[in-house]
Amino acid sequence: MHTGPSKIVLSQTGGPLYQQIVNQMKQRIAVGEWVAGEEIPSIRQLAADLSVSVITVKRAYLEMEHAGLIVTQHGKGSFVAAHVVPGPKIFEQEMAGHLEEAARLGATMGMSEREMVSRLRKALDETDDARVIPKPSKESV
Amino acid sequence: MNDLCIRMDGVSKRYPHFFLDGISLELSEGSVLGFIGANGAGKSTTIRILMGLVRQDSGSVEVLGHPMPAEQTTAKLDIGFVSEDMRLYGAATLAWHMNFVASMYPRWDKAYAETLLRRFDLKAEQKIKGLSHGQRVKAALLLALARQPRLLILDEPTTGLDPVARREVLGELMSVLRDEGRTIFFSSHNTLEVEQISDRIAFIDRGRLIALDEKEDLLDRWRRVRLMVPTGSVLPQIPGVIEVAGTERLPVLTTSQFNPGVVSLCEDRGATVQGVDAMTLEEIFVANVQSRRELQPA
Amino acid sequence: MNRQRINYAVVRHLILKDWYLNRGVILGSLPVGLGALALVLTGKQVTFLLCIILLCMVIVGVGAQLAMVTTVNERKEQTLAFVMSLPVSWREYTAAKILANLIIFLIPWLPLTAGALGVLLLPGATHGLIPFTAIMALEMLITTSLIVAAGIITESQAWTTAGIFLSSLGINVLGYVFAHLPGISAYMFGMQVRWTATAWTVLIAELLTVPLILGMTFYIQSRKTDFL
Repeated sequence: MHTGPSKIVLSQTGGPLYQQIVNQMKQRIAVGEWVAGEEIPSIRQLAADLSVSVITVKRAYLEMEHAGLIVTQHGKGSFVAAHVVPGPKIFEQEMAGHLEEAARLGATMGMSEREMVSRLRKALDETDDARVIPKPSKESV
Repeated sequence: MNDLCIRMDGVSKRYPHFFLDGISLELSEGSVLGFIGANGAGKSTTIRILMGLVRQDSGSVEVLGHPMPAEQTTAKLDIGFVSEDMRLYGAATLAWHMNFVASMYPRWDKAYAETLLRRFDLKAEQKIKGLSHGQRVKAALLLALARQPRLLILDEPTTGLDPVARREVLGELMSVLRDEGRTIFFSSHNTLEVEQISDRIAFIDRGRLIALDEKEDLLDRWRRVRLMVPTGSVLPQIPGVIEVAGTERLPVLTTSQFNPGVVSLCEDRGATVQGVDAMTLEEIFVANVQSRRELQPA
Repeated sequence: MNRQRINYAVVRHLILKDWYLNRGVILGSLPVGLGALALVLTGKQVTFLLCIILLCMVIVGVGAQLAMVTTVNERKEQTLAFVMSLPVSWREYTAAKILANLIIFLIPWLPLTAGALGVLLLPGATHGLIPFTAIMALEMLITTSLIVAAGIITESQAWTTAGIFLSSLGINVLGYVFAHLPGISAYMFGMQVRWTATAWTVLIAELLTVPLILGMTFYIQSRKTDFL
């Protein structure tokens, strides 16, 4: 899909477009590429850049606003919120939500606390595996 | 509230073997409406009525505030129309076409036209008959875009284009939306595209509008819910189910009214939710049409 | 619905477009016609009649070709959608097609008719043929109008070809009929120009037929609901 000057990269197989936009915007802030108070592309600009519907981009921006990460001033544009601190805290809320959901599902299935903890450990292991970069074999070109 | 670019109210048209039945839709300025339908469903007829090229038997049509087909000459000064079955004059050059269109559109932007020539990789001095299909489509779009229309009406603008050309064309179309006064109404078989760029979506089948929704809303509401149920149990009643597939123990329900509460609902009734799958616009369209056709064969 | 006036600026552009796309045919017909006229100068009566027939064929041929290309072909080549996407309605389109065909047809017709009449006015020529020639020249104008009307209204190759066929037949039949009308035949091969009542009647009837045909075309077009 389209990249454009905003450098957001969308994927046809990456799930709902608005969600991809939200995630990438969050990561930008987390990594510090967008700093507090910095102006970000307007909704229309981003929509035109990415060849995505304005409504979809608006939805992403609204979610970012609810999370307190950006502010949109009518007539002036959109900006990263003033008190945003870069770092993994951006995903705090998301993580909390996921943990609550896992706890609820576990309870529905009647899992014990020990089972749920061991499941969490297993998930952590799998994430670690994915992050290990495979060493190049001697035969590879 | 934005102005209405398009207002169709109860528009009907009868042909010997086809009946366009009571089409009503509205399109606000600055938005994009994607129109999806099978061949012969009535997309082209609807678009021709919008352009004033076909007069409706009943119902009213207003485009950019002008009743159609009565004020089509005035309306078309602000419209860029490209349709898949439209051709340019083979013996003339693209440059001639550009001058021809420019002579009738006071807002023709010469600089922008030159930019588009470069972006679309077209040579103005080339005769139309020497162009490939993709180049002809791009030429027609150039002629439509360079006149700076307030409304773009496109009937299958990217059909027959290779993926690279399609990307170029889509990018150019969407770039006009930087101006919030511009509106796009387009029909396409490429549901992926429609899903990506539309604000609102209309489904048409057998001459009737079977859905008219915000795209995000549509994508949020439709889900396939995969369940595991104990033998002999009754399926939980989920709202909006239009199809039940799969096996007796592993049913798959397609619903048009999903909400997060549905998961707990199923589990409360003793069914295990194996997964909830989102659906692409194409899947939604096909499911919608198929369920309707089953209810009303032919 | 009829609050709209015809936008003549747009009509002009449409006419120029048709001229541009067909200039080859038009300009090509002039030398052929003039060549046929030149043959007349050999003076023989038989040659003259043959030349008249040749001229008729050239002029009607051009008229028919033009009518076909500017009307039927717009639909066949699918350029109609392009034209109708411009700020035009059926009014501008019909007016432009009628005017374009007429004007472009007049380009060979006027000089050739004037030439034929001029040749007949030369000393020693058969002046008596002038009324008949004028009548036949107008006949060709009527024929072309009919073919153009058929093209605009039907947009069908089959119907327009039928129109061409019938018109050509008509010219021959009417030519025969006119040549044998007492008011005309009596003076045709004389050395004097004699405008009899018969000749005038035929001439005036012809002059009225052209606007009649074109007016009817406009009216029939206004009743259409589908232009694509």
